[in-house]
Amino acid sequence: MDELTSVFIQEGREQLQAMETGLLELEQQPDKQDNINGIFRAAHTIKGASGVIECHFIEGFMHKVENVLDRLRNGEIALSGELTGLLLRSCDHLGSLMDVLEAGAPEPAPEVKATGDALQAELAVYTSGPAPETGKVVEAESEVLSSGGGVVNTDSWHISVRFGPHMLRGGMDPLSFLRFLASLGEILAMETIPDAMPAGAEMDPESCYLGFEIRLQTRSSKADIERVFDFCRDDCELRILPPNSKLAEYVKLIKELPEDDMRLGEMLVRCGALTQGELDGGLNSQQTGAQATPAEGEEAHKPQLGEILIDQKVIHKEVVEAAVNKQTQVSEKKAVEARLIRVHADKLDQLIDLVGELVIAGASANLLAQRSGQTELFESTSVLSRLVENIRDSALQLRMVQIGETFNRFNRVVRDVSKELGKEIDLIISGAETELDKSVVEKIGDPLMHLVRNSMDHGIELGSVREARGKPRRGTVELNAYHDSGSIVIEIVDDGNGLPRDKILAKAIEKGLVQPTQTLTDQEIVNLIWEPGFSTADQVTNLSGRGVGMDVVRRNIQSLRGSCDVSSIEGAGSTFTIRLPLTLAIIDGFLVGVGKSAYVIPLDMVIECIELNEHEADRHFLNLRGEVLPFVRLREMFEIEEEQPARENIVVVQYAGQKAGIVVDQLLGEFQTVIKPLSSIFRHLRGIGGSTILGTGEVALILDVQTLVQRNARSEEREMSLNAALPRSTAQN
Amino acid sequence: MKTIFLVDDSATILLSISNILAKAGYATEKAGSGEEAMKKFQAGVKVDLLITDLNMPGINGIELIREVRKLPNYKFMPILFLTTESQQSRKLEAKAAGASGWIVKPATADELLNTIKLVLR
Repeated sequence: MDELTSVFIQEGREQLQAMETGLLELEQQPDKQDNINGIFRAAHTIKGASGVIECHFIEGFMHKVENVLDRLRNGEIALSGELTGLLLRSCDHLGSLMDVLEAGAPEPAPEVKATGDALQAELAVYTSGPAPETGKVVEAESEVLSSGGGVVNTDSWHISVRFGPHMLRGGMDPLSFLRFLASLGEILAMETIPDAMPAGAEMDPESCYLGFEIRLQTRSSKADIERVFDFCRDDCELRILPPNSKLAEYVKLIKELPEDDMRLGEMLVRCGALTQGELDGGLNSQQTGAQATPAEGEEAHKPQLGEILIDQKVIHKEVVEAAVNKQTQVSEKKAVEARLIRVHADKLDQLIDLVGELVIAGASANLLAQRSGQTELFESTSVLSRLVENIRDSALQLRMVQIGETFNRFNRVVRDVSKELGKEIDLIISGAETELDKSVVEKIGDPLMHLVRNSMDHGIELGSVREARGKPRRGTVELNAYHDSGSIVIEIVDDGNGLPRDKILAKAIEKGLVQPTQTLTDQEIVNLIWEPGFSTADQVTNLSGRGVGMDVVRRNIQSLRGSCDVSSIEGAGSTFTIRLPLTLAIIDGFLVGVGKSAYVIPLDMVIECIELNEHEADRHFLNLRGEVLPFVRLREMFEIEEEQPARENIVVVQYAGQKAGIVVDQLLGEFQTVIKPLSSIFRHLRGIGGSTILGTGEVALILDVQTLVQRNARSEEREMSLNAALPRSTAQN
Repeated sequence: MKTIFLVDDSATILLSISNILAKAGYATEKAGSGEEAMKKFQAGVKVDLLITDLNMPGINGIELIREVRKLPNYKFMPILFLTTESQQSRKLEAKAAGASGWIVKPATADELLNTIKLVLR
């Protein structure tokens, strides 16, 4: 695919997204003219660009869409649900046309084409009304009437032009026109008419006062000659007489131009358009002819022209006012519009990789400097490290994208799905500006889609049911995003039915996930939905029950080093919470040592470090200022059989509001870490999130705090229920 | 060598026009928005002709033309704008703002180059 096409595809998809977002917004706020303009502009840009790359199937289709939008924009057709629906379907079709182009096919497949034809037929309904008046430029030259008299025998065109005063200020040079005219053929003769030039004192050097009489020999048509003067037609007087025009037409020309008849006549003679005899005869016959055709006719014509000019000026005024109004609106918007530069994602990834290596190399240099004991060297490496840190942050920032774009897709989903289900559902989005890593954004779409569909399908009740329960008829699904201690949190909240506790329990017992004798808390029951193989079969519809259980959603999120939770109040709604790390590549870590091994704890999760008192050392919890703090010993967990030091430390970590302690030997301080994923043979390891390379070249393991904390919590529960410590046997998959 | 300043929010159009111009031996300067173009003008970029799209988010073509004309250095520079048949009414507005002429999209390379030849000094 050539560069131009790939640029077009990317741009086209962005514009398509803009169109779709705009259309959905339009449904909510039908009166926002700005928005309609935006949609039109997006469609217009796609059409224009597809024309440039000569992709005619897109251009042709978008032309139809644009026409409808143009009429909508001008208020000639009214907005209706059907129309937005149609336009949205047109967007879908455009998306598939883009796919066709991207696949390199010369034409869409028959079925795609059929969809397109059907859509075009529907679109045509909206354009079949009277065509809009396009502000046509007033023709400076009306068709020359043949009004008797002899024919002037020349084989050349005669052009009379009087340039308008604003010519130069419009960036145009009269000479350019003449030069271009000469390129059409040969200028046989030319006379300059400087009559409009005022006295020196009154002359404005920025105004143009010139006119020309030109005899041109060319094979070009009248339209071609007129086109040369296209850009000044509205500002200049132009008369074009074809070869062998009637004498009367020359006379008419002389009469209509502002200069003195005799003088202009002389000019024409001088440039060879007319002979003196023809001129005399022509003016005489005109005088006699003037008696036959009342002089009023000429007079009546002029005011008419004047009127047109006035009309034109009125238009100008309105146009200018409209433009001024628009300008103020636009300047408000300007601040919001971000300036963007397009970069290939691979380049970014490469940069991040390099920065990762830089971080490692920097740490190693820092360590060496520290060991060398040379203060100056250490200072300079410290400065370097700080800069590297800044570079790392900026580089990561490059990958950060707002989640809004992902969220906005759901407007469409909610709209379509609620129609399909016959429910009335509003989508409320907040925190759309929250940023997270691009790779996370890309992968979060599917799980999010599943959860949103789930909420709409199982959560929100039918309108009538809701009313009967005293709830507003329209249900809401909320998508919230916000930052929370180094993680980004995405919530999917609905005000529907909540999760049916009894049903879930019954199903879980039926599936053998729990024993009927077990007593479970409400939260534990609700959490059963995440279990593999759990699906409440009687709820399966074609929407959410697509054979993908919630366990798959959870696994997808976990593969992003994230977690998901659900809380629910029966009858009042449920909340799904997804927690994700801000970035997948580099973290600020806290380095700890156990025996000879080093481990990294993500710094965002570390709250404090305390010393472990000896008398507390035999239990798995301690009293932290009146709070119970459960802890795990890395030594036990990873079965490190080295000498236990006299003094141990506890790193207090927090995850999703839950605190826990991690017992280690040494606290080694903050450390920037590039996360290297563990190879697949270590996949089954619980509690380890990845590895990293230390400045010394040694490998340190990055702790997966979430798993540790959960595991810890579970082992505590077991301990309480079984009254026995079984710290390593409780991990479940 | 004459330098032509292209302003269009569509990357496709920018690329295609600059390809044509490069082949015809013009140097190009590019901006993806009215804001970016204004910055370059305020910095005194040396160009012989401005070609701008009219319909752009933010500072649109007409505002750009009006603002550029206010700068003393560009008072008499030729300015062309890109338009389509459906936008006829905007021609007047753009002309009033100080444009020299227009190019109707989609233009063939010949049409484009001819129009440029017409307005370039």
